[in-house]
Amino acid sequence: MKAQILHSKLERYVNGKSMPAETRQIQAWLSCTSTDAQLSPEQRSLLELEILQEIQAYTAYPLFFPKKEKPWWQKIAALF
Amino acid sequence: MSRIYSTDQTLIDRLSLNDTEAFEELYRRYWNSLYLYCLKKLLTSEDAKIIVRTIFINIWETRHSLPVSFSLSKHLYEEVRKTVVQCLSQKLSDATNESYIEKRLLAEFSVQSLLAARKPVTKKYTVINKPSELIRQQAGQTGTEHYSTLTTVKWMFQSLTDKLSLTNILSYPKN
Repeated sequence: MKAQILHSKLERYVNGKSMPAETRQIQAWLSCTSTDAQLSPEQRSLLELEILQEIQAYTAYPLFFPKKEKPWWQKIAALF
Repeated sequence: MSRIYSTDQTLIDRLSLNDTEAFEELYRRYWNSLYLYCLKKLLTSEDAKIIVRTIFINIWETRHSLPVSFSLSKHLYEEVRKTVVQCLSQKLSDATNESYIEKRLLAEFSVQSLLAARKPVTKKYTVINKPSELIRQQAGQTGTEHYSTLTTVKWMFQSLTDKLSLTNILSYPKN
């Protein structure tokens, strides 16, 4: 298949105008998750924080809805 | 992260009340699987990050208008697939991604590879005619000494009778 044909197929799929066979083909590709890539714990925590910070920067929710200060007994309980 | 497990529905209910902790809990629950899926499909970490970010920003911004029977996992499943196709369509229109398109994408979209992906996973079953052989094999793999089942049962029975006789002696009434 040529890249141009695939591009037009994807365009039709995005616009909801694709043929049933094209839809099945794209959905088969989307459902194909044969190999599992995994992140290392360090990478994972770094990425998690990075994306969350980007979300926070975009939505600015910590500014509008700041976290409530936890009572002292909950802080102590969290240590155990 | 809270130590008490809350269901998605509870967290979504809290999210509609502007609970940021609930939002972050939902994010921590699902970001990794979304990211890995996008990474597998698009091969670039930057695109994967953008997609995850966009999906969660949309959830935050539409938190007040979520339907009552909202299923987050279903929503994420649909959104990630839709966004991946949109991103892929943009990549195809961009001339700088030619190597990725030539090497990977067109090969993945070929009929043969899609058919291969649709085949059900076949598990390899081994027929065990003699259980003792399997035990011997496992013992060989782990480097432990092999005992047959009969020997093990005999040994257990012997130790049991020894213990019973010992308890009988101890509890025997002194009349």
